[in-house]
Amino acid sequence: MGDVDLVEKAERLGRKRSQIFFVLAMVFFAGQSIYFGAPEATRDSPPRVGAWLILVILMLLLLATGGFLLRGREVRHLLNDESARANRLAAQATGFWATILALLAVYVESMFDLVTLNEAVHIVGTIGVGAALISFAVRERRAHQLG
Amino acid sequence: MAERLANRLRAEREARGWTQAELAARVGVSRKTINTIENGVFVPSTLTALKIAESFERSVEELFSVVED
Repeated sequence: MGDVDLVEKAERLGRKRSQIFFVLAMVFFAGQSIYFGAPEATRDSPPRVGAWLILVILMLLLLATGGFLLRGREVRHLLNDESARANRLAAQATGFWATILALLAVYVESMFDLVTLNEAVHIVGTIGVGAALISFAVRERRAHQLG
Repeated sequence: MAERLANRLRAEREARGWTQAELAARVGVSRKTINTIENGVFVPSTLTALKIAESFERSVEELFSVVED
Protein backbone atom coordinates (compact mmCIF):
# COMPACT_ATOMS: atom_id res chain seq x y z
CA MET A 1 0.00 0.00 0.00
CA GLY A 2 1.23 3.48 -0.86
CA ASP A 3 1.36 6.52 1.35
CA VAL A 4 -1.82 8.62 1.70
CA ASP A 5 0.28 11.67 2.68
CA LEU A 6 2.17 11.31 -0.59
CA VAL A 7 -1.10 11.13 -2.54
CA GLU A 8 -2.35 14.27 -0.78
CA LYS A 9 0.93 16.05 -1.45
CA ALA A 10 0.69 15.12 -5.14
CA GLU A 11 -2.91 16.36 -5.11
CA ARG A 12 -1.88 19.77 -3.76
CA LEU A 13 0.99 20.04 -6.24
CA GLY A 14 -1.25 18.92 -9.10
CA ARG A 15 -3.79 21.63 -8.33
CA LYS A 16 -1.01 24.17 -8.05
CA ARG A 17 0.45 22.97 -11.36
CA SER A 18 -2.79 23.55 -13.26
CA GLN A 19 -2.95 27.11 -11.86
CA ILE A 20 0.71 27.81 -12.63
CA PHE A 21 0.41 26.49 -16.20
CA PHE A 22 -2.65 28.64 -16.82
CA VAL A 23 -0.96 31.79 -15.46
CA LEU A 24 2.22 31.04 -17.43
CA ALA A 25 0.21 30.72 -20.64
CA MET A 26 -1.52 34.05 -19.95
CA VAL A 27 1.83 35.75 -19.25
CA PHE A 28 3.16 34.21 -22.47
CA PHE A 29 0.23 35.58 -24.49
CA ALA A 30 0.51 38.99 -22.80
CA GLY A 31 4.21 39.06 -23.66
CA GLN A 32 3.32 38.89 -27.34
CA SER A 33 1.33 42.10 -27.16
CA ILE A 34 4.51 43.72 -25.81
CA TYR A 35 6.46 42.21 -28.71
CA PHE A 36 4.04 43.41 -31.38
CA GLY A 37 3.62 46.75 -29.61
CA ALA A 38 7.36 47.46 -29.78
CA PRO A 39 8.80 49.55 -32.65
CA GLU A 40 9.84 47.34 -35.57
CA ALA A 41 13.45 48.48 -35.31
CA THR A 42 13.87 47.06 -31.78
CA ARG A 43 11.28 44.29 -31.95
CA ASP A 44 13.75 41.57 -32.85
CA SER A 45 16.67 42.62 -30.69
CA PRO A 46 18.77 39.65 -29.52
CA PRO A 47 17.78 39.99 -25.82
CA ARG A 48 14.07 40.08 -26.70
CA VAL A 49 14.28 37.12 -29.08
CA GLY A 50 16.50 35.27 -26.61
CA ALA A 51 14.03 35.80 -23.76
CA TRP A 52 11.16 34.54 -25.92
CA LEU A 53 13.13 31.48 -26.99
CA ILE A 54 14.01 30.64 -23.37
CA LEU A 55 10.36 31.00 -22.40
CA VAL A 56 9.23 28.73 -25.27
CA ILE A 57 11.82 26.08 -24.39
CA LEU A 58 10.82 26.26 -20.72
CA MET A 59 7.15 25.79 -21.59
CA LEU A 60 7.88 22.92 -23.96
CA LEU A 61 9.90 21.31 -21.18
CA LEU A 62 6.95 21.71 -18.81
CA LEU A 63 4.61 20.19 -21.37
CA ALA A 64 6.95 17.29 -22.06
CA THR A 65 7.71 16.44 -18.44
CA GLY A 66 4.78 17.75 -16.41
CA GLY A 67 7.15 19.90 -14.36
CA PHE A 68 8.24 19.53 -10.73
CA LEU A 69 11.49 17.90 -11.84
CA LEU A 70 13.16 18.59 -8.52
CA ARG A 71 10.49 16.79 -6.49
CA GLY A 72 10.96 13.22 -5.32
CA ARG A 73 10.49 10.33 -7.72
CA GLU A 74 7.36 9.03 -5.98
CA VAL A 75 5.57 12.39 -6.03
CA ARG A 76 6.49 12.89 -9.68
CA HIS A 77 5.17 9.41 -10.45
CA LEU A 78 1.80 10.37 -8.93
CA LEU A 79 1.80 13.79 -10.59
CA ASN A 80 2.42 12.19 -13.96
CA ASP A 81 0.31 9.09 -13.64
CA GLU A 82 -1.83 7.83 -16.51
CA SER A 83 -4.65 10.38 -16.26
CA ALA A 84 -2.11 13.24 -16.26
CA ARG A 85 -0.28 11.67 -19.20
CA ALA A 86 -3.58 11.31 -21.07
CA ASN A 87 -4.35 14.97 -20.40
CA ARG A 88 -0.88 15.94 -21.56
CA LEU A 89 -1.24 13.98 -24.79
CA ALA A 90 -4.64 15.56 -25.45
CA ALA A 91 -3.14 19.00 -24.73
CA GLN A 92 -0.29 18.33 -27.14
CA ALA A 93 -2.83 17.37 -29.81
CA THR A 94 -4.65 20.66 -29.15
CA GLY A 95 -1.32 22.46 -29.51
CA PHE A 96 -0.70 20.70 -32.82
CA TRP A 97 -4.06 21.75 -34.28
CA ALA A 98 -3.66 25.30 -32.95
CA THR A 99 -0.21 25.46 -34.58
CA ILE A 100 -1.52 24.27 -37.97
CA LEU A 101 -4.46 26.69 -37.86
CA ALA A 102 -2.18 29.58 -36.88
CA LEU A 103 0.18 28.63 -39.68
CA LEU A 104 -2.65 28.66 -42.23
CA ALA A 105 -3.91 31.99 -40.89
CA VAL A 106 -0.43 33.53 -41.20
CA TYR A 107 -0.13 32.12 -44.72
CA VAL A 108 -3.40 33.73 -45.77
CA GLU A 109 -2.46 36.99 -44.04
CA SER A 110 0.85 37.06 -45.96
CA MET A 111 -1.12 37.26 -49.21
CA PHE A 112 -2.50 40.64 -48.18
CA ASP A 113 0.16 42.05 -45.90
CA LEU A 114 3.87 41.72 -45.24
CA VAL A 115 4.57 39.16 -42.52
CA THR A 116 8.21 38.78 -41.56
CA LEU A 117 9.66 35.42 -40.66
CA ASN A 118 10.16 36.53 -37.04
CA GLU A 119 6.56 37.69 -36.74
CA ALA A 120 5.30 34.42 -38.22
CA VAL A 121 7.43 32.36 -35.84
CA HIS A 122 6.20 34.42 -32.88
CA ILE A 123 2.55 34.06 -33.83
CA VAL A 124 2.66 30.34 -34.64
CA GLY A 125 4.92 29.44 -31.71
CA THR A 126 2.92 31.44 -29.20
CA ILE A 127 -0.45 30.09 -30.29
CA GLY A 128 0.77 26.48 -30.50
CA VAL A 129 2.60 26.35 -27.17
CA GLY A 130 0.10 28.59 -25.37
CA ALA A 131 -2.90 26.55 -26.54
CA ALA A 132 -1.28 23.29 -25.40
CA LEU A 133 -0.44 24.78 -22.01
CA ILE A 134 -3.96 26.16 -21.46
CA SER A 135 -5.53 22.91 -22.65
CA PHE A 136 -3.48 20.91 -20.13
CA ALA A 137 -4.24 23.36 -17.31
CA VAL A 138 -7.99 23.30 -18.02
CA ARG A 139 -8.15 19.49 -18.34
CA GLU A 140 -6.24 19.01 -15.11
CA ARG A 141 -8.32 21.58 -13.28
CA ARG A 142 -11.56 19.93 -14.41
CA ALA A 143 -10.27 16.52 -13.36
CA HIS A 144 -9.40 17.83 -9.89
CA GLN A 145 -12.79 19.47 -9.48
CA LEU A 146 -14.98 16.49 -10.49
CA GLY A 147 -17.03 14.54 -8.04
CA MET B 1 -25.07 2.94 -30.46
CA ALA B 2 -22.50 4.47 -28.09
CA GLU B 3 -20.75 2.28 -25.58
CA ARG B 4 -19.12 3.37 -22.36
CA LEU B 5 -17.35 1.82 -19.42
CA ALA B 6 -19.43 1.77 -16.26
CA ASN B 7 -17.86 1.00 -12.90
CA ARG B 8 -18.72 0.25 -9.28
CA LEU B 9 -15.67 1.92 -7.77
CA ARG B 10 -17.50 4.47 -5.64
CA ALA B 11 -19.89 1.86 -4.19
CA GLU B 12 -17.07 -0.57 -3.38
CA ARG B 13 -14.87 2.16 -1.93
CA GLU B 14 -17.61 3.64 0.22
CA ALA B 15 -18.63 0.18 1.42
CA ARG B 16 -15.12 -0.15 2.82
CA GLY B 17 -15.08 3.37 4.23
CA TRP B 18 -12.09 4.37 2.12
CA THR B 19 -11.49 7.88 0.82
CA GLN B 20 -10.40 8.42 -2.77
CA ALA B 21 -6.92 9.25 -1.47
CA GLU B 22 -6.75 5.94 0.42
CA LEU B 23 -7.76 3.96 -2.65
CA ALA B 24 -5.31 5.99 -4.76
CA ALA B 25 -2.50 5.14 -2.32
CA ARG B 26 -3.36 1.42 -2.50
CA VAL B 27 -3.41 1.47 -6.30
CA GLY B 28 -0.38 3.77 -6.69
CA VAL B 29 -2.10 6.51 -8.68
CA SER B 30 -3.23 10.06 -7.90
CA ARG B 31 -6.55 10.87 -6.24
CA LYS B 32 -7.48 12.71 -9.43
CA THR B 33 -7.16 9.49 -11.43
CA ILE B 34 -9.48 7.63 -9.05
CA ASN B 35 -11.88 10.58 -9.16
CA THR B 36 -11.99 10.68 -12.97
CA ILE B 37 -12.42 6.88 -13.22
CA GLU B 38 -15.28 6.94 -10.68
CA ASN B 39 -16.98 9.68 -12.66
CA GLY B 40 -16.56 7.86 -15.96
CA VAL B 41 -14.41 10.63 -17.42
CA PHE B 42 -11.25 8.56 -17.70
CA VAL B 43 -10.97 4.96 -18.90
CA PRO B 44 -8.13 3.29 -16.97
CA SER B 45 -5.45 1.14 -18.53
CA THR B 46 -5.62 -2.64 -18.07
CA LEU B 47 -2.80 -2.37 -15.55
CA THR B 48 -4.62 0.16 -13.38
CA ALA B 49 -7.92 -1.72 -13.69
CA LEU B 50 -6.18 -4.87 -12.46
CA LYS B 51 -4.54 -2.99 -9.57
CA ILE B 52 -7.88 -1.50 -8.54
CA ALA B 53 -9.50 -4.95 -8.68
CA GLU B 54 -6.66 -6.34 -6.58
CA SER B 55 -7.13 -3.58 -4.00
CA PHE B 56 -10.80 -4.49 -3.63
CA GLU B 57 -10.12 -8.24 -3.88
CA ARG B 58 -12.62 -8.38 -6.72
CA SER B 59 -12.36 -9.38 -10.36
CA VAL B 60 -12.13 -6.67 -13.01
CA GLU B 61 -15.49 -7.82 -14.42
CA GLU B 62 -17.13 -7.22 -11.03
CA LEU B 63 -15.92 -3.62 -11.05
CA PHE B 64 -16.13 -2.65 -14.71
CA SER B 65 -18.74 -3.35 -17.36
CA VAL B 66 -19.56 -2.13 -20.84
CA VAL B 67 -22.94 -0.42 -21.12
CA GLU B 68 -24.75 0.90 -24.16
CA ASP B 69 -26.33 4.34 -24.02
